[in-house]
Amino acid sequence: MSETRSRKAVFEKEFTVVATLVVLAGAFLLAFPMFFEDAVGDIDWITIPMIAFPILGSLILLALASQQPRGMKERMAFPVKAASLGFSLFILVISTALFFGWIGSIDWTNIKLNEYRIDHEYTWINSLGISWHVGLDGLSFPMLWLTTLIIPITMISTWDEKSSWYHHPLLLMMEGALIGVFVALDLFMFYVFWELTLIPMFFLILKWGGKDRRYAAQKFFIYTFTASLVLLLAIVTLYFLQNPSQYLIDKGVLTGRTFSMVEMTSSAQMAANSGNTWLGSSMQNALFLMMVLAFIVKLPAVPFHTWLPDAHVQAPTAGSMVLAGVMLKMGAYGLFRLPMTLFPHALAEYQDWLMIIGMISLVYGAMVCLGQINLKRMVAYSSVSHMGIVLLGIASMQPLGFAGAIFMMFAHGIISPMLFAVCGSFKHHYHTLEIGSLRGVAKTSPYMGVYMMFAWMASLGLPLLAGFVAEVAVLVAFWMEYGWLVLLPALTLVITAAYYLWSMQRTIFEGDGEVVLPDTMGDDSPRDISPWENVGNILMALLIVLFGVLPWIIWGMMSSYADAHFYQHMGGLLRLVAGGA
Amino acid sequence: MDVSELAILIPVLPIVAMPLILLLGRLFNGNEKWKGLWKEGGTIAVAVLAIVFVLSMWLIVGHVAAFTEGSGDDFVSDVGDWVTYSLFTENGDMKVQDFGFGLQLDHISVMLLFVASFLCLLIGIFSLGYMNTDPVNENRNHRFYAEFILFCAGMFGMVLADSFLWLFIFWEIMGLCSYLLIGFYYERPSAAYAAKKAFLTTRVGDVFLFVGLLIMHAVFGSWDFAVVFDASNIGAADAGLIKAMLLLMFIGAVGKSAQFPLHVWLPDAMEGPTPVSALIHAATMVNAGLYLVARMYPFFSAPAVAGEFTDVALLIAMIGGITACMAAAIAFVQDDIKKVLAYSTMSQLAYIFTGLGAALWFVNKGYTELAAFAFGASLFHLFNHAMAKGMLFMASGSVIHEMHHAHHELAHHGDDHDDHDDHGEDHFDCQDMTNMGGLASKMPITAIAMAAGSASIIGIPLIGGFWSKEGIVGSTWKAVLQDGGGLFIIPALLVLITAGMTGFYMSRMWFMTFAGKPKTPVAAGVHEQTPFIPIPLVALTGMTLAAILFAGLGFAGWIGDNANHLSLGHLPSHLMHEIMHAFLAVGSDGHSDPYLFMITWITIGLSMLVGPFYAMALHGGSLAKGEKAHWSISWLVSLSGKIRRKYNFDNSAWSDSGISNALKRRLYFDEWYDNLMLKLVVPFALAAAWFDKRIIDGAIKGIESGSQEASKGIRQLTTGSARDYIMMAALGTLALFLLIWGLI
Repeated sequence: MSETRSRKAVFEKEFTVVATLVVLAGAFLLAFPMFFEDAVGDIDWITIPMIAFPILGSLILLALASQQPRGMKERMAFPVKAASLGFSLFILVISTALFFGWIGSIDWTNIKLNEYRIDHEYTWINSLGISWHVGLDGLSFPMLWLTTLIIPITMISTWDEKSSWYHHPLLLMMEGALIGVFVALDLFMFYVFWELTLIPMFFLILKWGGKDRRYAAQKFFIYTFTASLVLLLAIVTLYFLQNPSQYLIDKGVLTGRTFSMVEMTSSAQMAANSGNTWLGSSMQNALFLMMVLAFIVKLPAVPFHTWLPDAHVQAPTAGSMVLAGVMLKMGAYGLFRLPMTLFPHALAEYQDWLMIIGMISLVYGAMVCLGQINLKRMVAYSSVSHMGIVLLGIASMQPLGFAGAIFMMFAHGIISPMLFAVCGSFKHHYHTLEIGSLRGVAKTSPYMGVYMMFAWMASLGLPLLAGFVAEVAVLVAFWMEYGWLVLLPALTLVITAAYYLWSMQRTIFEGDGEVVLPDTMGDDSPRDISPWENVGNILMALLIVLFGVLPWIIWGMMSSYADAHFYQHMGGLLRLVAGGA
Repeated sequence: MDVSELAILIPVLPIVAMPLILLLGRLFNGNEKWKGLWKEGGTIAVAVLAIVFVLSMWLIVGHVAAFTEGSGDDFVSDVGDWVTYSLFTENGDMKVQDFGFGLQLDHISVMLLFVASFLCLLIGIFSLGYMNTDPVNENRNHRFYAEFILFCAGMFGMVLADSFLWLFIFWEIMGLCSYLLIGFYYERPSAAYAAKKAFLTTRVGDVFLFVGLLIMHAVFGSWDFAVVFDASNIGAADAGLIKAMLLLMFIGAVGKSAQFPLHVWLPDAMEGPTPVSALIHAATMVNAGLYLVARMYPFFSAPAVAGEFTDVALLIAMIGGITACMAAAIAFVQDDIKKVLAYSTMSQLAYIFTGLGAALWFVNKGYTELAAFAFGASLFHLFNHAMAKGMLFMASGSVIHEMHHAHHELAHHGDDHDDHDDHGEDHFDCQDMTNMGGLASKMPITAIAMAAGSASIIGIPLIGGFWSKEGIVGSTWKAVLQDGGGLFIIPALLVLITAGMTGFYMSRMWFMTFAGKPKTPVAAGVHEQTPFIPIPLVALTGMTLAAILFAGLGFAGWIGDNANHLSLGHLPSHLMHEIMHAFLAVGSDGHSDPYLFMITWITIGLSMLVGPFYAMALHGGSLAKGEKAHWSISWLVSLSGKIRRKYNFDNSAWSDSGISNALKRRLYFDEWYDNLMLKLVVPFALAAAWFDKRIIDGAIKGIESGSQEASKGIRQLTTGSARDYIMMAALGTLALFLLIWGLI
């Protein structure tokens, strides 16, 4: 009796905390437009609700939970988890409403280059010309939406993670940082968020990772951090290359220079449209190469990819899902946003090199996959392989190729979390990731078998699932530029099918009579996945089918963004350099 | 209501039914009502297929009626845009294009739509009997029906698609379902292996098809049939690129239709449940490759490219001829009843490829009339083969099912007395024909159906495939006579020989199964008792025997040249004409062609007399005493017994020979491909993995440990002694001064 009562008391307390937080958050969200409405009536839906809200929220939740005495923290797990999920769902509602035009009534398919929606600029560090500048276009919106979709799904899938009072707020913080990267229109702000994303991921790997988590977390951090130092160098160079403007000095900017991407893009645009090379071709090439180096490490492309398998294998399920689903897209997004927009002439010059790197990533990545015996390692290398397709789309220098590359980012962003969710359940229930150490998963864990089959098929590019559209678009564009070279990526599709089918044959299938279980299981009996994992997987599967069958939902804005890169009347930069080819 | 509004339901209804069946199956698994009335989802599947069949018939009848009235046009229905995109063309212009989804129905797809919807429905009914009465499948039949109905959606979608990309999309969906259904008994290692093999082998072909489609887009800027088939567009394009495109697409067709050298997956695919073999690996999916090649017809017929692609057409015919002969030879030595049928399928599909190759060659050479005839004959053979082979597989399924049943009863019975006996029977193979025999009296419906199906495949005069096979053989031989067609002598000879070989192996299968005395106690205890199974057998026997009517209606001619051909009124005269044509080689001018007359009778002689004769001599036999077969086949059984007694000979020299062994091991293709995989691809992949771990990551680790070493070295300098620090400061200052002086 007393136990029931105390349980009830605990539950009531939990419930009160959650309810209070949710009500507060809702009231805050509803009230904030009144404070931030500016003259045009355009509300900043990004700064407060999508960046400050999750980051501050996660800090508050962490503080709340860590206030509990030792041993009692797990009691806070449920309210903290529920509040984290509630926050991320709020953000999802806003981003979805933005997408469908329920708020802001935005036409995403009609945006010129260097034009942004929900474009808001606030003074930040005025003396250095740094501002807080957010905005969305046909490139960043899909990434934002992807982030807001994947984070709640990740939270649901890893609901039962241990120490979840600490785990889920980190994911929420991750969401704020990632959104910051995708919406930033100021180079300083972009860099700050770019590095900020490393912190929650570092802790996710360090705390919940596998046996070698310490090594993997350090490697992940130092490797990508070193690469982003090159980015910082490029940003600072770009900053000091500007001529100080009297206008800015009058506004109190001591250096007379700005970090604004919008300003820089319009300079690049003006130069390109009047037939000049912005900053001169050698400087453009140098900056282009520095930025590309920084971004393809994050992408990652061969030969800068080795941090990825280590990080994935050691990372917990949530870490892998977010890392593969969203963080890798930061690299591709950065490529589009900075070097490809600012330095069109350098892009045209290094087009073939990008193609070669992309091709090596694709073909070599697939070959390495075939040689793996660790399920998660194989899936990690398949990410390298698929990100090669993004580079091929860029190298095609065709609007269709660009759009295909962006669609690939999105599609891979919803497929790879499912791959890793399945790997995570596998590890969780069978305590191993070795391919071939057990047989007949379909018999012992039918749901897991179904999801594995589905995710694997989606990743190998089955039609009517999301990845196929991207592959067709990129390869059509690729043929237009490189002709018969397309045979290499096409044959890689066979290798891709080979490693996926091979791994399925040795896990899902077989096991006639006696089911073979791995030694690591000990005396455990095999289980199927938990209801939470089930829900997460179903949601991802639905998304994959949705965007595979009805790609136009999101294709339109990507295609029009890509067109804007090329069209003269849409402010295109690549018209002159690519159109003449 | 307009039919065109409902046409979209044909692929959509099954797609919707698929998750429904899966979900209900998950919810009600094990429920008695779900197993009984709902047949674990089978009822839903069959109901959906019945609706689809009615819709299809509505479309088909409307289409045919419009044509016979002379007002007909191909039915096209645009459903909507899928994606819009922009591309630079070669001259630097930006072009905005859209790619939409639509349905198209013309004379080719009408025929295939009928085949698909009719067979899907019948095999669905068959499955109700076959799958649901086998305890092995209990509680997982919903998975079977869900995958089955998704496959049907893929087939309908492919037939109705109005562009090559949609054709490819549904083509891949079918490939997926084929993979899933071959691996239905996932716990069997052989099934898992076969599923993987099927998917990968067809994937190799599919990738080439995909590259072909990329070229098509580059050449025509579209995949829509309406655009790419436009003769002026074809004329404006680079003929070399089109040729490359056609070759690549043909590789795709070779993979899907299991032709040499991508044929290895089909025999293994028999690991799937028998309804799957009947539907996917005999009657519908394997026809997709043929459909694709048939769809290429306009590329060959455009006047601007006349004479350009004859070598492609010849290649198609060659591949067909080689596969036909090879598969028939391998079928000689197979003892597994389903394997015989699988090789027979390969061989018959190869016939159609040969015929299509001849048709494409003719039309590219400008012989329009000959081309139309060969084309019509090929597609008519596709029709006949699908009906007959679907039925044969179902009949074999019926045999296997009853054998299983009998074996189970026997084993159970023996269990009470003797454990050892039960153990010995564990390895009993219900598909092995050497365990059967004498089933003609025990399974009359199955035996008659199988006899009719075999006759159709062999090409016994007046039955089923006879009408079309004669046309194909005749067409290839006609091509030999034409200017530049000398090389056609190879496929022509091959298909002629294969006609005789077909006669042998199909008869061998029938006599081994149904004639003679039961070779095992299991075979002696077999009864025809499973519900639902006879329905499709009877329906398809009727269909096979009715081929004569189709021939009389001018079915082949109608498909071949799309003119007003089908008419009931002219049936008697048309029939007379067809018979004169088939037996006396009377052409449209009313004269008999002696060359064709000779070929015709050689074919009939080989397939009807020589082949079956040897089969009877080796494998015939009368039934056991007291057993009586149905009158329609009893004469055949007793004839075989007489021939066997009189002409039986010892063929152990042949069956122990190297050739026979090679055939038994499928001419070593599987070994070669496995070796290629194991000795080349796998080591290469392992080497790549090693390279990645040791060299690329090794370099990173080298930098890491190098920097650690360096920092250790630098750490040595912090000695803590003031003397060292003063020394260092002094040296530093000196260096600084030197630097400044040097700069100045």
